[in-house]
Amino acid sequence: MSSISSPSVRGAQAAPGQGIGLYLAIGCLVAVLGFALPFVGLPKNLLALLTSASISAILATAVGFLVRQAGLSSFGHAAFYGGAAYAIALLVKYTSLPAEVVVLAAPLLIVGLGVVVSLILLRTNGIAFSMLSLAMAQAVYELVMKWRDLANGEDGLRIRFAREIFGLKLSFFQKADTMFLVTWAVLVVVIAILVLVSRSNFGTLTIAIKNNEERARFLGYRTLWPRVVILALSALIAALGGTLFALYNGYVTPSLLHWTLSGEALIIAIIGGTRSVWAPAVGAFVFVILRDVAGNYTTHWQSIVGLVLIAVVLTLPNGIGGALTAFTNRFGGRQNG
Amino acid sequence: MADGYMLEARGLTRRYAGFTALNNVSFALREGEIRGLIGSNGAGKSTCMDVLTGRGKNPIGTVRLGGEDISKLSQRERRAKGLSRSFQKTSIFPDLTIREQVRLAARNAELDNSEEVISELALSSIADRLASDVSYGDQRRVDLALALVGRPKLLLLDEPAAGLTVEESLSMARMLRDLSERWKLTVMLVEHDMEVIFAICDRLTVLHLGEVLTEGDPESVRSNPEVIRAYLGSSFA
Amino acid sequence: MLIQILNGLVYGGMLYIVSVGLVLIFGLRRVVNFAHGGLYMLGAYIGFAAGLYFGFWGGLVVALVLMALLGVLLDYGVFRPLQDKDHMTTVLVTFGILLVMEDMVHMIWGADTISVAMPALFDGTVDISGSPFPIYRLLVIAVAIVVVLGLTLWLRHSRAGLYVRASSVDALTTGMQGVDTERLSLAVVGLGTALAGLSGVIASPLMALSPAMGSSVLIESFIVVVIGGLGSFSGAFFAALVIGQVHNLGIVYLPNVSSMLPLLLMVVVLILKPSGFARSH
Repeated sequence: MSSISSPSVRGAQAAPGQGIGLYLAIGCLVAVLGFALPFVGLPKNLLALLTSASISAILATAVGFLVRQAGLSSFGHAAFYGGAAYAIALLVKYTSLPAEVVVLAAPLLIVGLGVVVSLILLRTNGIAFSMLSLAMAQAVYELVMKWRDLANGEDGLRIRFAREIFGLKLSFFQKADTMFLVTWAVLVVVIAILVLVSRSNFGTLTIAIKNNEERARFLGYRTLWPRVVILALSALIAALGGTLFALYNGYVTPSLLHWTLSGEALIIAIIGGTRSVWAPAVGAFVFVILRDVAGNYTTHWQSIVGLVLIAVVLTLPNGIGGALTAFTNRFGGRQNG
Repeated sequence: MADGYMLEARGLTRRYAGFTALNNVSFALREGEIRGLIGSNGAGKSTCMDVLTGRGKNPIGTVRLGGEDISKLSQRERRAKGLSRSFQKTSIFPDLTIREQVRLAARNAELDNSEEVISELALSSIADRLASDVSYGDQRRVDLALALVGRPKLLLLDEPAAGLTVEESLSMARMLRDLSERWKLTVMLVEHDMEVIFAICDRLTVLHLGEVLTEGDPESVRSNPEVIRAYLGSSFA
Repeated sequence: MLIQILNGLVYGGMLYIVSVGLVLIFGLRRVVNFAHGGLYMLGAYIGFAAGLYFGFWGGLVVALVLMALLGVLLDYGVFRPLQDKDHMTTVLVTFGILLVMEDMVHMIWGADTISVAMPALFDGTVDISGSPFPIYRLLVIAVAIVVVLGLTLWLRHSRAGLYVRASSVDALTTGMQGVDTERLSLAVVGLGTALAGLSGVIASPLMALSPAMGSSVLIESFIVVVIGGLGSFSGAFFAALVIGQVHNLGIVYLPNVSSMLPLLLMVVVLILKPSGFARSH
């Protein structure tokens, strides 16, 4: 990546390579501070909220990464998220595999699914991708709803885990004060890995394909496989979120597969901002906490979300993350110069 | 390359539903030559570039690069053989910095001369800015840089000076002449700006309605009555 | 068997009317209207509410007029200001509108399903090869046929129709002589939303109303539009017919996996012809 730059290009238009140090410092600080949260005497319900928020953040990160690297807006990530949760529930119900194997196998199954799906959906352009991702995911939802013998329809399934998983008591995964550490750790690792991927040669290539596929092909690159890899990676991360949900809650319902969940994840990613890898996660925490607060005052959360989405799309194309970045750059720029 | 030609094109043809955009066009370029491809709008210049690079479906005709038949290869494979092009409409990657995209272009070439290309094209001072943040003239040079990196054997340039000021286009022309001499580049250039064409081309091929009208050195083409009637008009006589 | 095919035609007909509205809007504005399913739902509710006062047919007229007005408003207030932005902007904005619309309907009419009575005139059955078949269903098929014929005539024989067809094949950058494109797009989007409303109203006696009814139609109409080839009128027609049959036969013979069948069909089409079966390039 770029090294030290000329002062004339500092500021809001800063190239991706600039100010890494500052961002790295802020990122590490937030990551470390997060692990302290369960130990500072927060009320139990707030910690439970933060645990749900970090699971939502993982899903939103997956959706946002797909927008960032491939320019594809998925309206169907619930299929990967809820799909992983259901895979766990069904594997526990129908097989006698150890829980550890189930928990590791479910996301991998979903990645396989993601590759197959992407090979079909990536034959279309961006808009058709959005339409078809919605259709595919909703078909999975309908399948689970209608095929009652398979997964108990709309009543969902309770997952009977073993008492110990990975040598830890089941309650470790099902209580917020301990589970938060797990979800937060997964979120931090996911974001770190995705930042590395986005800054790698491969990340640069996928942005190039997103910008101008034909030119990329003419520079001698294959353009289908990089997008398949990005979609599979995004599916894997969504599936990790679903896996954590299943572990934490111990049950699955079809709402995990419903398109409103996919739509919500996309909205969170857009509101958070898709210019940066980390911004959708910020969006998720803002979204989940605001929803909880708003729940005390109004039943029209859905209208609020719709209006906020429209407002952000029209006025803040880079979302909350874009605004934060601009602020940090100005702050950092003043300090340095 | 026993016959000394870097590019030999024979019988290039492309038909769309209902009309023939390019009909049995042939030409050959010597190594190090700068060839101008001129003609009025719709004469088939861009189509000719597309067929040479394998863009679009069912190209007809043979293309030999350095003696090797590349007619059956994909765009991607042709680039790997050393055939490179720029596009009429600026075709760059707005979300990448200039350095990132030039390096990306260099990664598939045998020779990574991205830094050299960046400095030759006077992009060093803005190399770490996003391509979407620089001026149009700079973007045209980025487009050229993507085509030039890796020192291709043959460079096809589709109106590199389009939209540039007179000054900018003349400086681009000088730069091209200079680079082609130093790097032994063979260049085929589509351009409407006759100043640029006459300043740097060794030979010209004139297309008219999808066919070759004539070919020759700039002076003879300029004075050819057929060319004047079909394309140049009286102002150049 | 004949009964099954007729039922498939009923569903396919409704699907066609919704989908062709989507195609009209896509053709002229190059946007995929995610609020389209919501418009179908809203049309059904307006038809129901107005029907309480003016009867089923009066309700239908009120719904068509209001939905057409809403479409004009949508074009003027949303699609036109956003026409120079990228496609995803409009997709996301219409998605936001869908959320607001669902919430509004939920607030006004509640979340419970509402059933709508058949219009009295058509509340009977006829005998078709030995089994009774509701007359109303035949009426739905007839309405779909009228829409198909009306649209085809308009697209083929009017100047505006010609422009809409040309624009749906290839986005036109310049206007056509004698066609006021801005006014035409108001009319076309209005027509598209009115068709969504029409479909919603005529579907309402066959399926209960609920705020979520729009999204399931939206999803199947997406499949129709993509299988038909984005922006293709004839493609949408054939795709709707096929999906109608597949949907219906699936429900009868393979209830567990019926929702997967249209999708599998779509997968096959996409593998054979990525741009849909009406498009060759």
